[in-house]
Amino acid sequence: MTEAGKAILLVEDNADDVALTLRAFKRSHVMNTIAVARDGIEALDYLFGRDAHADRAGAPLPTLIILDLKLPKLDGLGVLKAIRADERTRLLPVVILTSSKEEQDLISGYSLGANSYVRKPVDFAEFVEAVKVLGVYWLMMNQSPPGAAP
Amino acid sequence: MKISTKGRLATTTALATIGLIAGMIWWANLEVEDASARRRQTIELTRGLTELRLVTFEYMLRRDERPRAQEREVSDRLARLIEAMPFSGAGQSEVVAHLREHSVAAHRLFEELAATPVAEGPNAADAESTRRFEAQLSSRLLILQQEGLADAFRLTDFSTERINAAQQRVVIVILAGLALIALTTVGAAWLIDRSVLAPIGKLEQATREVAAGNWNYKLAIASSDEIGDMSRNFDAMTQSLRMSFAQIERSNQELAALNQEIEAFSYSVSHDLRGPLRSMDGFSLALLEDYGDKLDDEAKDYLRRIRAASQRMGRLIDELLGLSRVTRAELTLKPVDLSEVAREIADSLAQQQPARAVRWDIEEGLTVHADKALIQIAMQNLLENAWKFTSKTDKPLIRVGAVDRDGKKECFVADNGVGFDMAYADRLFGAFQRLHHESEFPGTGIGLAIVQRIFRRHAGKIWVQAKPGLGATFFFQLKG
Repeated sequence: MTEAGKAILLVEDNADDVALTLRAFKRSHVMNTIAVARDGIEALDYLFGRDAHADRAGAPLPTLIILDLKLPKLDGLGVLKAIRADERTRLLPVVILTSSKEEQDLISGYSLGANSYVRKPVDFAEFVEAVKVLGVYWLMMNQSPPGAAP
Repeated sequence: MKISTKGRLATTTALATIGLIAGMIWWANLEVEDASARRRQTIELTRGLTELRLVTFEYMLRRDERPRAQEREVSDRLARLIEAMPFSGAGQSEVVAHLREHSVAAHRLFEELAATPVAEGPNAADAESTRRFEAQLSSRLLILQQEGLADAFRLTDFSTERINAAQQRVVIVILAGLALIALTTVGAAWLIDRSVLAPIGKLEQATREVAAGNWNYKLAIASSDEIGDMSRNFDAMTQSLRMSFAQIERSNQELAALNQEIEAFSYSVSHDLRGPLRSMDGFSLALLEDYGDKLDDEAKDYLRRIRAASQRMGRLIDELLGLSRVTRAELTLKPVDLSEVAREIADSLAQQQPARAVRWDIEEGLTVHADKALIQIAMQNLLENAWKFTSKTDKPLIRVGAVDRDGKKECFVADNGVGFDMAYADRLFGAFQRLHHESEFPGTGIGLAIVQRIFRRHAGKIWVQAKPGLGATFFFQLKG
């Protein structure tokens, strides 16, 4: 359904949620490479090719970042701020996928430049549906900004 | 000195002065009356003396018995008058004594004159000496009588002098009294200005300062009178207000901290409690999808139950968060068209379940003063309940309107659904309280708790009237 070349970075600390999100992608036939970062610092290391991800220096950036808000070390909003502050990642599409539907989180997410805000439903069937829509929209319909990915 | 003491002192002075003047006038009146009585007596005396002179002249001319008898009578009367004279005091009693002596002497001379034979007869020399003697007697008698008259006039003068003196004294006392009263009045006015009006001006300024929020303003009037007491009480009051204010501020800060804690808690609940539920639901579904062929129907049923329970708990958490959001939300009070809010909700309910034929009766022009977002949530819950509990009714009817009770407007949402026993009405508004089985009417039992909290936040109230099988009517009242 989608091109394997376009990578997705999933920033999520909960192993269950990682497994479920990967399963949801699989069930909605999203075939892209999916990299997983378990905390905010790792996500930035991955993007900018630092420390544990030094081997990725100069490697292409992902097409889409799916970002949880509650993360160890650096939270989702901190990650988003760092992404928007760097010239290289400034235009990358970032979708916030979180359990929180606190108004304050929504406002902060959008004001820091999130492209979408999706709430994880408890019902897994609904979750699959949400991930499917996300994949279709951001990986197939949306035109990425120039220079984001090959 | 207290102002009241000063006031009493001024009043006492004025009253005493007025009393003194009144006493003086009364005394002068008595004095004048007494002096007038004496003057009348002296006038009578004068009249008697004049009469005596006339009688004497007449006797000297005619020498008959009638004037002589008259002289005796008048002399007796004069003697009685002189004896009755109440004059006292150095000059006056001397004059009276003089008068008494003179009249006694005059009477004696008159008797002597009467005893002298008439100067006529053959002896011319005798006659001549008699006449000379007679003339001498008469002259002496007339002089005595004249002196008596002079004494009487002097007595009259004494009385007149007394009257004049009394009148003069009254005038002096009245003038002095009036001066004293004027002085007291001026003093009182000065006192009122200095001890009352000026401090009241200061107090007025102080109340204005405090009203404007200057809690540190000090009046500090040091006087020992009532105004001083009031100033000290005023300063004590502002100080205690200042302390209460600081206390309230502290409590507010504590409340704000507490509120922040609740918010952090809600955030955790929203985020952390839902995660495990998602796993339970997600992996149950994964089992059903990936290993369905290896599971029998009972195992599949259990997995479905796990999913249903997870989803239900997800809804409960969401509604609990809704309840907490209603509690924390800031109120923006504005006029809200309740009829329009109700109509919109009714339309959306009818759209969601077009198969149901519910009759709506929504009164036009219902306006309440409330927070629109919260009142929408309350009406949503009330109308959804009415919609839900009429699902098994023959001809469902939902009414929204208002009634006037004791001049206060009460809005209501009424349905003809299943209703309930009023014995359970108290429990109805508690969180997670349900009066029906979930299999009959689905729901978490938190909707009415949210509704009640919304009306409480508006300082309003909500109550219910219901009968099993006949429906329920929710009344609510908002302040203003």
